[in-house]
Amino acid sequence: MDSMPDSERGLQPGDQVTRLLSAWTGGDRQALDDLIPLVYGELHEIAKRAWGVQKSDHTLQPTVLIHEAYLKLVGHGERAFQSRAHFFAVASMAMRQVLVNHAEASLAEKRGGGAATVPLQEADEAVQREAREVLALHDALERFATLDRRKAQVVELRYFGGLSIEETAEALGISTITVTRDWKAARAWLARELGASPA
Amino acid sequence: MAGEGVGCESGMSAEWAEVELVFLDASGLRGAARAAYLDCACAGRAELRAEVESLLAADEQRGHFLEAPPSSLAADLLERQPAVLAAGERVGAYVVRSLVSRGGMGEVYLAEDVLKGERVALKLLRRHMTADAHAAERFEREARAAGTLWHENIVRAIEFGQAEAGLFLAMEWVDGETWRVRMRGEVSPGEALDWSQQAARGFAAAHEAGILHRDIKPENLMLNLEGAVKILDFGLARLGGELVVEMDGAGSSGTISGTLSGTLPYMSPELLRGETATKASDVFSFGSVVYELFTGRHPFAGATPLDVFEAIECRTPVAPSQLRTEITRKLDGLLLSMLDREPEARPAMTDVAERLASIRGV
Repeated sequence: MDSMPDSERGLQPGDQVTRLLSAWTGGDRQALDDLIPLVYGELHEIAKRAWGVQKSDHTLQPTVLIHEAYLKLVGHGERAFQSRAHFFAVASMAMRQVLVNHAEASLAEKRGGGAATVPLQEADEAVQREAREVLALHDALERFATLDRRKAQVVELRYFGGLSIEETAEALGISTITVTRDWKAARAWLARELGASPA
Repeated sequence: MAGEGVGCESGMSAEWAEVELVFLDASGLRGAARAAYLDCACAGRAELRAEVESLLAADEQRGHFLEAPPSSLAADLLERQPAVLAAGERVGAYVVRSLVSRGGMGEVYLAEDVLKGERVALKLLRRHMTADAHAAERFEREARAAGTLWHENIVRAIEFGQAEAGLFLAMEWVDGETWRVRMRGEVSPGEALDWSQQAARGFAAAHEAGILHRDIKPENLMLNLEGAVKILDFGLARLGGELVVEMDGAGSSGTISGTLSGTLPYMSPELLRGETATKASDVFSFGSVVYELFTGRHPFAGATPLDVFEAIECRTPVAPSQLRTEITRKLDGLLLSMLDREPEARPAMTDVAERLASIRGV
């Protein structure tokens, strides 16, 4: 089935993602812009279910979500495994976008009002604090990217994508030692920028 | 060039590159050694030294900075509504006592039947979700699937109805603990055999009625105070070939359900490939759970989700008897056949129940 051209068997969503991923890997930057919305929608859907259920749990595992989105969008087999690393990178960008958008929205809007049956003040405070932290980090990360693009990506993958050192190394095609060093330097730089408030 | 699009080239300024290098070297040194190193590396360059020292200070004070994901924000993004019902509120013949768990589509409450004085687990589909005809239909089908099953090892559906708060399903309340909780402590081979026999009988009855569970995991199996196993959450159950519902059940945690339903570590290889669930895929999931129950170790354990995927797909688990000497060859053979990568090679659930029953003493 893989030998058949797309035009002969109808385009599956997974094919589209795979095609865009390989175009992007081949240096086509436009492909990324087409890819993000596809991944974004999917991650948002999956995250809604997974995090919705896990709220009481403290274990939030974005990396599991990304794996699941990946299986769903790209599917299985050798072809899929080759582009997995790039998918992680795209998915982490999308996760960052999802959270930043939400942080902006939740700070902009006055929450509550009306008939809440359960007071959630405490939760609200944590949310507002994290919303401010995420936005501050996002801005600092933009500045950091102009100084050192790869390290900014390491932070994006580790923090927003929840990837391990090993997965980050695979996604960026660098060694785990380099990731460890990048991560250390990036955290120090960002902690200094942000006054290390979110300890 | 492969990877170029991901930005493998570092793209960093020369000044920063030097700062980073000195910082990383200095951070590995302490006290006088660090001072001596900085004297040498930054000789005559006060600016470089100040930059490196500020990074060293930030590094020492950073604590757990960036280690934990922004979980409150993430949870808020997805779960904006507070619980629909407060304690004391009435739904049909039931009075709500407390919130047990919440999922994407609704909540599960502990409630009490005011007439009979009996406790129930009340599953509620939120009102705004009932406006979604598709969600309402699926909820109703779940209720029907649950109502079809009448077995001592399957949690019993009591009533399905519509109240102001939304559609609800009242189910038998199970006082006890999930297998997941019990598995944190020591489980004797005798207990493991007893519990898995009971669960197998429940699953076999469901399969005979044409109903799949589709999300078998230790969180969905309970042991009540009398020692009876109760299977929870036929929420993903498929009846007559139709998908029923994706809502999570009482007391279970962390199901990631989507088009790709089921909980990842207990999914069969064919489900991971995106194929349709069958009775054989339930057998596989149950095999994983029972393996873990007997040995204390997941048959496809791995450090990352991807390792688990790959193990489910490619690895044959070690014989349980190698992990626990009391396990007999007969049980070894049964568990490994349940975990066969080929669905056709797995025994039917009734077979599993019979073979477990024939094992005397582990």
